[in-house]
Amino acid sequence: MIPATSSTPPLAELRGIGKTYGTGEHAVDALVGADLAIYPGEDMIIEGPSGSGKTTLISILGLLLRATTGSIRIGDREVGQLGERDLPALRAKTFGFVFQGFNLFPALTALENVALAIRMKDGKAKDPEGQARALLERVGLGPRAHHLPADMSGGQKQRVAIARALGGDPPILVGDEPTAALDTKTALSVMELLRGLASEHGRAVVVVTHDPRLERFADRVVRVEDGRIESNLPRLAQAS
Amino acid sequence: MWTLAKKILLHDRIKFAVASAGVSISVMLVLVQIGLYFGFMRTASTLIDHARADVWVTKAASENFDFSTPLDDRTYYRVASTPGVARAERMILAFAQLKLDSGADLGVQVIGIEPHARLMAPWNVIDGDVSRLGEPGAITVDASEWDKLHLKDVGHRTEIGGVRARVAAVTEGIRSFTTSPLVFTDLISARAFTRLPDEAENYVLVELAPGADPARVVAALRRIPHVDAYVADEMSARTQEYWSSRTGVGAGFFMTAILGIIVGLVVVGQILYNGTLQHLREYGTLKAMGARNSAVVRVILYQALISAVVGFLLGGGLAVGARAAMAGANLSVALTPGLFVATAIVTAVMCTLASLLSIIKVLRLDPASVFKV
Ligand SMILES: Nc1ncnc2c1ncn2[C@@H]1O[C@H](COP(=O)(O)OP(=O)(O)OP(=O)(O)O)[C@@H](O)[C@H]1O
Ligand SMILES: [Mg+2]
Repeated sequence: MIPATSSTPPLAELRGIGKTYGTGEHAVDALVGADLAIYPGEDMIIEGPSGSGKTTLISILGLLLRATTGSIRIGDREVGQLGERDLPALRAKTFGFVFQGFNLFPALTALENVALAIRMKDGKAKDPEGQARALLERVGLGPRAHHLPADMSGGQKQRVAIARALGGDPPILVGDEPTAALDTKTALSVMELLRGLASEHGRAVVVVTHDPRLERFADRVVRVEDGRIESNLPRLAQAS
Repeated sequence: MWTLAKKILLHDRIKFAVASAGVSISVMLVLVQIGLYFGFMRTASTLIDHARADVWVTKAASENFDFSTPLDDRTYYRVASTPGVARAERMILAFAQLKLDSGADLGVQVIGIEPHARLMAPWNVIDGDVSRLGEPGAITVDASEWDKLHLKDVGHRTEIGGVRARVAAVTEGIRSFTTSPLVFTDLISARAFTRLPDEAENYVLVELAPGADPARVVAALRRIPHVDAYVADEMSARTQEYWSSRTGVGAGFFMTAILGIIVGLVVVGQILYNGTLQHLREYGTLKAMGARNSAVVRVILYQALISAVVGFLLGGGLAVGARAAMAGANLSVALTPGLFVATAIVTAVMCTLASLLSIIKVLRLDPASVFKV
């Protein structure tokens, strides 16, 4: 995708983010002085060793976790100025989430899982089933709409989860190791799908991964080590 | 949302079956226990409720309907001449020993009524002739007591209190609360059977003159020395209340019903909570993606209510079956529409309470937890 330029404002921006878990003797500095900007159309990969703070970083980005220090901007809103009550709505509007473990209701079909999320997000959503069907088409699962998760492969389940994350059309998709449970071929096709999604509607995709083979799908690779952002480079620049 | 809740609930059929069974046992226990209680209470006041008396006159401080202190005829005449009283009839209600064919004695409750009594008379007569109760020793027996009495036919002879008695009519479904069979006869035979003095009786039944104010007549009757008077409804309620509270039978039935509710609560609560824990990551995901708390709560609550409806229908069916089975044992289970409605409400509340733990768990769920594997 076209790398972000300084002329387009970021969808989200973290400045000087620090996160300390616990207090006193048991305090863990999971993140120190992290700066990160997410631009529209960008497909970003966050990598780094286990325990380096990747999950912490995207949890704070996704407004799931409060930072200990630093500030966050989502669009033109300063998150620090929002109360606890406003946070969930902003989160719902801005982010869709994908996980390693899919987290689909086993009792519900692909369509129902996606429609349930749309309904729960917005009680007045128009034609949740229709929306869900369109999203499943988008992730290439139209013909599987009425299958239960148990009858689908890991890759298909993750596509359902991605379709669910797209409900309400959030501008940023966040994934924590969404391909970790998949074999290489499937992982690559899921990454391809995510990359394609990033190119639509000025959306951004932020994916944490351990897998260096996935780097080739990214516009930008962020490396986290020991709670610090060690590098943040466009892929081409990193490759050279 | 209902459909989705139903699917989530029905996905694990065994768990759902256990939850429904829990609710239905609880519903059945509540219906049968309270129904039995109502049945007992109905039986306790059955004579009063079937009488056509507007007002009952008893000896003062006579607490128990079945074991009352006698009045005398002077009181009867004063009652009969009280303004507002259109008609007064004496009634005897006392215990006596009936001689069985085997030679053994069986306690019976003798009801003595006036010749041509209008305010209290045997009902549901299926055989014989009640108008012949005035003949010496003529009695009615109830078909439901045949096993105890071994008196099968009109004309069958026996002795009560050493006095000759003869079955003149057979009734059906006049059940005794004290378990001693009810035997109707006339005043004279009743006094003979129960060794009650002449001119003694237990109750005076009053029919009010048209337009008479019951409260004023009752007040007037109470001015007669050593007399108490109650309108029929009050008399009925007092009798039920006596048996219910003095014997503790009421508390017993309600305790069992409450135990039933607790069983239901625990079973449904446990199963819902278990299901919620199982789906915690899914609920967390939905919350992370902006599901409103009210929507998440609804999905869980609907599951509880579906269990409630299914359990209620099953339990109601079981209770109706139990009523039929218990009728064979001469136990009446009064399953009134009101009882069904009340039990339905209790069931809904019970299942809602049972889902509370699950709801709290999901409401407290930290959306950030979804990234923890
Ligand atoms: N809730 C928590 N309480 C205390 N410490 C935590 C908590 N969550 C994470 N940590 C610690 O913070 C550090 C960063 O954790 P984080 O989960 O962000 O790492 P990660 O890069 O996602 O690791 P992995 O690749 O294993 O998922 C780790 O040292 C971890 O032990
Ligand atoms: Mg992690």
